[in-house]
Amino acid sequence: MVEESRPSWENPMQFVLACVSYAVGLGNVWRFPYLCQMHGGGGFLIPYLIMLVVEGLPLFYLELAIGQRMRQGSIGAWSAINPYMGGVGIASVVVSIFLAVYYNVINAWAFWYLFHSFQGTLPWAECPLSSNFTTYVPECEKSSSTDYFWYRETLNISSSIEDHGGIQMGQALCLVLSWMVVYLCVLRGTESTGKVVYFTATFPYLVMIIYLIRGVTLHGALNGLKYMFTPKLSDLADPKAWIDAATQILFSLGLGCGSLIAFASYNHHNNNFEKQAIVVSLINSATSIFASLVTFSIYGFKATFNYESCLDRTQLLLINTFDLAEDSIKNNNLDDWISHLNASFPDKFATISSQIEGCDLESELDTAVEGTGLAFIVYSEAIKNMGLSQLWSVLYFSMLLMLGIGSMLGNVAAIITPLRDSAFLTRHFRKETLIGMMCLFCCLVGLSFTTRSGNYWFTIFNDYAATFSLLFIVLIEIITVCYVYGLKKFEKDIEVMIGHRPHWYWKIIWSVISPVLIIGLFIFYIADYIMGGTPTYQAWDSNLGKTVTKEHPPFAQAVIGLLLVTSMMCVPLVALITFIKKKKEQARESKISTTAS
Amino acid sequence: MLSRVLLSLSLVPALALAVCQPDGQDAYKVRLSIKTALGANAYEWNESEQFLFRATLAFAMRKYTGQETFNVSSVIVCNETQRVSFWFVVTNPNDTATLIPKNAVEEAIRLSRNRINSAFLLSDKTLQFLGIPPTLAPPSQPSLPVWLIVFGVVMGIVTTGILALIISGFIQRKKKDIEDEDEEEKQERIMENGILCETLEGKEGVNNGAYSHDEDRLTQL
Repeated sequence: MVEESRPSWENPMQFVLACVSYAVGLGNVWRFPYLCQMHGGGGFLIPYLIMLVVEGLPLFYLELAIGQRMRQGSIGAWSAINPYMGGVGIASVVVSIFLAVYYNVINAWAFWYLFHSFQGTLPWAECPLSSNFTTYVPECEKSSSTDYFWYRETLNISSSIEDHGGIQMGQALCLVLSWMVVYLCVLRGTESTGKVVYFTATFPYLVMIIYLIRGVTLHGALNGLKYMFTPKLSDLADPKAWIDAATQILFSLGLGCGSLIAFASYNHHNNNFEKQAIVVSLINSATSIFASLVTFSIYGFKATFNYESCLDRTQLLLINTFDLAEDSIKNNNLDDWISHLNASFPDKFATISSQIEGCDLESELDTAVEGTGLAFIVYSEAIKNMGLSQLWSVLYFSMLLMLGIGSMLGNVAAIITPLRDSAFLTRHFRKETLIGMMCLFCCLVGLSFTTRSGNYWFTIFNDYAATFSLLFIVLIEIITVCYVYGLKKFEKDIEVMIGHRPHWYWKIIWSVISPVLIIGLFIFYIADYIMGGTPTYQAWDSNLGKTVTKEHPPFAQAVIGLLLVTSMMCVPLVALITFIKKKKEQARESKISTTAS
Repeated sequence: MLSRVLLSLSLVPALALAVCQPDGQDAYKVRLSIKTALGANAYEWNESEQFLFRATLAFAMRKYTGQETFNVSSVIVCNETQRVSFWFVVTNPNDTATLIPKNAVEEAIRLSRNRINSAFLLSDKTLQFLGIPPTLAPPSQPSLPVWLIVFGVVMGIVTTGILALIISGFIQRKKKDIEDEDEEEKQERIMENGILCETLEGKEGVNNGAYSHDEDRLTQL
C-alpha cells in the first residue's frame, strides 16, 4: 500500500500569500500607528527598520527553513531536530491554542459591526433616547455615541472583572459564525486554505488603497499626516522606542507560533524560501507603514473635526450668553472675543468660564489609542462623520475581518498540522472530524470572552498569552538551531534545499546578534513586570462614562501566571521526560546485552 | 375725557411692557439661529418676522385652548437682542392684565411645535424655546433587527459551504475506496505465483511439451 503523500500548495504563490495573509494582521493596523505616535512619529521608522533587518528577517528565514526541511508541523519538526527539544514544538502549539481562542473574538466583533452597518443611520452615530423621549441616555451623553455603542450595546461590559454577567447572545452568535467561517476555510486542509488566501491577502490592500484616497482628501487629514511625519528624533534616545520596535517586529511577523513552520512544511523540497522570506517580511513592514498613513489621515480628520466642534460649541456658548449676533464670532477671532468679553463683563463671564473648554488641535492629535479602542471606537467615530458612512463602514469592517481571518488561518494551521502529523490521531479520526473538534473546543472556550466581563479577560490574554512566551520560544529556537543542532548542519540542509549556503550575514545574526537581542528583551520584560507592581486594567465605569484603572484580583493574576507558565514549562518538561525515557531504554538495553552475553 | 382716553391708551403699551418681564414667572425666552440653519438663504429678522412669530404663537394658543379669541395682540414680546433672542408672554384675551400660565403655554407650543418651526423654516435646534425640551423623534425600530437578517444570510451561506465541502469530501473518499478495492481485486486476478499473466500467454495456461506423454502411451512395435 502506497502511503498518502503530504499535501502541498498548488503553487509557490499560494504559500507566499498564505504567509502574507498570516503576518499582515490587525497588529499592522492598530499597533504600529500607535507606536509611531508614541515614539516620535516618522522617527520611529529608524529603529523599526533596523530591527526588521537585524531580527525579523533572519528569524523568519530560520522558521521557513526548518519547516521546509523537516516537512512536519512544529512538534514533529523540533523532535526531529533534537529529541530533547520536542517541547519547543509543544509550547508553540499551546501558545497557538491560546491565540486561536481569543483572537477569533475580534472577528466576532468585526462581524457584529459589519452587520450593524446595514442601517439607514449607523447605530453608533447617535445616542439612543431615554424612556421619556426627552433626553439621551445619560451614559451615552457623558461619554460619546461610539463609546456607548462599543461598551454598552456591543460588549454590555460590566464594571469589573469579578462581575461575570451572562453570555451576550449577539456576541456568542457572531463568535460561532467566526469559527464556522474558519472551519470552512481549513476543513479540506491546505487545498482549501490555499484558495482562500488569494482573497484574504489581497482584499485588505484594496480597501486600504480606497481608504487612503478617501482619507487624504478628508478635511484635516493633512494635520494628522504632518503630525506623523515630523520626526521627533529626541524620542529615539528613549530605550523604550527600540524595545517596542523589536517586540513589534517579532509579533508582527508571527514568529514562534509554529504557523510558519506548518505552512513551510507543505512546500516543495526545493522551494526558494530565502527569496520568499525577504519578500514577505518586506511586504509586512510596508503594509504597517501604509496602514499608518491611512490611520494618521483618519486621525487628522477626527482631531480637526473635534477641534472645530469644540470651537463651535465655545462660540455658541458666548453668543448665547451675551446675546451677540450670530456670525459675529468666528474661529479666528475667538480668542480676541474671549479676552474682550472677560474684560468688559467679568461677572457674567465668570458664570460660564467653567464651561469654556480650551480647544487645542495638538492635544486632540496627541490622544494615542491602540488596539480595539482604535479599531472600533476611533475609526467608527471618524466613519460616522464621513459622507456615505454605511459604505465606508462596510468596507472597513470587511477589511478587519479579512485581516483577522487571514491570521486565524495561520494560527489554526499551527495547531492542526502537528495533530495531523500524529499517526495515532490520523488513524482514528478523519481529517474533517479532527479539525471540527478542534474548532468546536476553541469556540466553546472562546464563549467565555462573550460574557459581560469578557473584554477584561480578552485584554489579559492579549497582553500575556503570547508575548513573553513567544520571546522564550524564539530564543530557545535560535539556540537549538545554532548550538544544539549545529549551524554547519543547518547550512548544509539549506544548501541541499535551495542550492547555495546562506550568506555569512545570516549566520552571524543567527548565532550572535539575535540571541543577544532577545535575551535583552527578555530581561527588560521581566524587569518591567517586577517593577510594575500589581497588574492593572482599564474598567468601564458606566456612571462616569469613562474608563478607570483597577487592580487585577488574585484569581486574574493567577490566570496570568498560568498563561505564562503552561507554554514555557513544556520545554524543560519534555526535555526531562525524554531524558528519563532514554535513561530507561539505555538501562533496558544494557540489561538485555548483559543477559544475552 | 379725551385726555383720560389718551392717557389710558398711552398706558397700554407701558402696561404691556410691564407685563413682559425677562425671567418673569410666565415668560419664555426664544432664541433663533437663522444663519446657522439657512446659511446663504438666511432672511433678515425684522418687525414683520416678529409679527409672524406672534401670529403663529396666537395660532398655537387657539389650537390648544380651542378658544378663537387669541390675537396677535395677546402675545407680547420684549428684550429683543442682536442674537435674535427675545422674551414673550401670552396675555389672557378676556383680561389683558393676566397672563396665561407657563405650563399652558408650554403645552400649546409642544402641540404645534412642528407648525411653528415650519413657519420659519427652522428646526427644534435652531428655534429654541428655553425651558421647553425638544421632542426628539424616536428612532424607528423594525420588527426584526436588521443585523439578524444579514447574520442569517451569512450564516446560511457558510453552513451550506461547510456541508457541501464535507459531503463532497465524503463522496470523493467513497469513490477512492471503491477504486482502491477494484485495483486490489484486479491485481489479485492477474497475479499468478507472483508472475503477471501478461508474461504468460493468456489465462488458460501454456502447454509444456516436455510433460506431454501422449506419444509414449502406445509403445512402438
